[in-house]
Amino acid sequence: MSTSLTIPKLQMSSTEGTLAEWLVEDGATVEEGQPIYSLETDKSVQEIEAPAAGKLVQKQPAGETYPVGTEIGEIV
Amino acid sequence: MTIDVKSIDPGTLKEIYRQMSRIHEVDKAIQAGLSSGKFMFTYWPMTGQEGIPASIAPLITSEDHMVTIYRGIHDQVAKGVPLKGLFAEALGREGGVNKGKGGSPHISDPSSGSMLTTAIVGAGAPIANGLALAEKLRGTDKVTIVNFGDGATSIGAVHEAMNMAGVWELPVIFLCQNNLIGEYTAIPDYTKGENFTSRAEALGFRGVRLNGNDPVAFHNGMKEIIASVREGKGPVFVEAMTNRLGPHAGVGWSHLLKGDDLKAAKTDWPVPATRQALLDAGICTEEELADIDNSAKAEVAEAVEWAMNSPVTGEDEMLLDVYGDPDVVPRRGQRIKREAEPEWTGETKTMAMFEAVQDALDLSMQADENVYCLGEDIGDDPGGVFKCFKGMQSKWGERIRPTPIAEQAIIGCATGSALVGMKPVAEIMFADFVGVCMDQITNHAAKQRYMSGATTTVPMTVRMICGGGIGGFGAQHSQSTEAMLLHQPGLKIVYPSTPTEAKGLLMSCIADEDPCIQFESMMLTYALKEEVPVGDYRIPLGVAKVKREGTDITLVTYGWQVMQCLLAAEELAKEGINAEVLDLRTLLPLDYDRILSSVEKTGRALVVHAAVEFCGLGSEIASTINEELFTKLKGPAARFGAAYAPIAYSKTIETAQVPNVNSIVARVREMFK
Repeated sequence: MSTSLTIPKLQMSSTEGTLAEWLVEDGATVEEGQPIYSLETDKSVQEIEAPAAGKLVQKQPAGETYPVGTEIGEIV
Repeated sequence: MTIDVKSIDPGTLKEIYRQMSRIHEVDKAIQAGLSSGKFMFTYWPMTGQEGIPASIAPLITSEDHMVTIYRGIHDQVAKGVPLKGLFAEALGREGGVNKGKGGSPHISDPSSGSMLTTAIVGAGAPIANGLALAEKLRGTDKVTIVNFGDGATSIGAVHEAMNMAGVWELPVIFLCQNNLIGEYTAIPDYTKGENFTSRAEALGFRGVRLNGNDPVAFHNGMKEIIASVREGKGPVFVEAMTNRLGPHAGVGWSHLLKGDDLKAAKTDWPVPATRQALLDAGICTEEELADIDNSAKAEVAEAVEWAMNSPVTGEDEMLLDVYGDPDVVPRRGQRIKREAEPEWTGETKTMAMFEAVQDALDLSMQADENVYCLGEDIGDDPGGVFKCFKGMQSKWGERIRPTPIAEQAIIGCATGSALVGMKPVAEIMFADFVGVCMDQITNHAAKQRYMSGATTTVPMTVRMICGGGIGGFGAQHSQSTEAMLLHQPGLKIVYPSTPTEAKGLLMSCIADEDPCIQFESMMLTYALKEEVPVGDYRIPLGVAKVKREGTDITLVTYGWQVMQCLLAAEELAKEGINAEVLDLRTLLPLDYDRILSSVEKTGRALVVHAAVEFCGLGSEIASTINEELFTKLKGPAARFGAAYAPIAYSKTIETAQVPNVNSIVARVREMFK
């Protein structure tokens, strides 16, 4: 079962977030709880941890801003 | 932090860890769901504070009451709220413990004793007093624990509640989970106080500081405190020192704890620390601990899956649970026919309104032992500043409760006790004072049925006196504030114009299943006397009454303006205008049927009230008449209320600014031009 990674809504006021950096290479294996990317919002920079274990598939490049809900990757 | 495992029964410590593990798995599942975008809701993580409710759980049962706040998922889990219903609620689903209408910041699950969750910082404390008072009056040994963060110590509601609990020696524990940060602002930026326990001591009761991260020390400390509260030794304030490892809202780690601070806080994190202590002491093997964790993980995974499969709560629920009876919700064009009270043929007695009110209170207390009264100065002497309670305390003892001067504490207490079936009647003296307790009335009493998906209700009554029309009371003791409250779905509002109706409506309000407000006019409290039915007498809510029949115009009115309209009608009759006077008596539920029936007959309508005209009830009613009866009207329905100014102290200005006989006559004449 794969887990989709979308830009989360972390604050009541969030509408978008910047995928500042992928902390894990595309295709690498990640552990649950391991920081996988950093997310920049108007309030803070936050390291987002892997919600599940598996292989990370990056679907969007870092350095861009995406609306909340945009799929940026997957853990398969 | 060294956990002294020798000072606790090993089985208890294992049980505490099991609760921590469940809380931790719930926290992880929510954060994972939010991070991956599977969940979309606001989350206020309590990571780091798991030890507090986990250590209390073995000391209480579902019979004990808990109140908490939006950062309270740990409290809910440890109190026993079912996880399936908890997740479904956070996701706004039908299967939620509150039908998805409250959400995670408003959990109510009476089956586990989680009675109310507020998203208004500190507002739970006055409500907890009510739960505690109900148990004290009933003579049980149940305790009420109200959780709040350190940030809540800055707000007035907590102070008011602590003072009332102290003076009434209520069986309540004020549990301040002190993580040293209020939302985004840390101590010492919001307080110069060095501790919070001294605030309880200043109010005459115990304040105890405990390490909320150490499950053994905290459990043992709470054991003694809970036992003392159960024994009736009065309230205790507990300052549970802890850390909030996460942000105010969102996921991940706190950015307010920088570098070494976060590292230090993590070493005190009770979840891994307790696990390690159990292992080191040989109480549990790694396999046993893994079993506990895996079983918690499986329970959470099953709950999440169940919740995701529950349908999102649909629109058909929108107008349900605003009131017990969905027909109370006002809707344009709605013409519900409610039966009026039968004509009274029994014994009567001459009474003024204040005497009729006392009669209603006294009879209601006789009829139902859950009825009690609270308010400022209602004890003997003076028996209430309006004399409605003269002799009542001597007769009823502790069921008549004079309070501190603290409206938030009064309404919160009424609300909390009503959650467990008491029928409180609160007096907040002048209607202008409603501003002081607006949060308790509108955000809590009024919304609780809806937010809890009707798992809880608030059958309380609040009486307030409007001082207008007499002169000399000034801007803060004269206003008619019904429009403020009419704008809050969930309240029922009555505004009698005679002693008989004050009695009949009040008895109906007290027996009602929803929060009711009765406005009483100072103009009528003593001046107007009439024959009032003796014994149980009720006027159904939502039934207007024609006080003078007429053919040319309907004057729709209520409260002390009824008399002004009746006098105006006599003046108008001299000029050949035959006015009908319709006394609404109840403002919500609104009797649209009798309003529209009367105007269908007369073809004209003027709504008259003592409240400010702009955005008043008159505008709402006039607008509905115009929309519903447009083709039948001889002229547009209009409204007439007070001028848009605070009530003046000058008698001349006050007389001129509120509708009176002369100005009503003049307004009607204009409509016939």
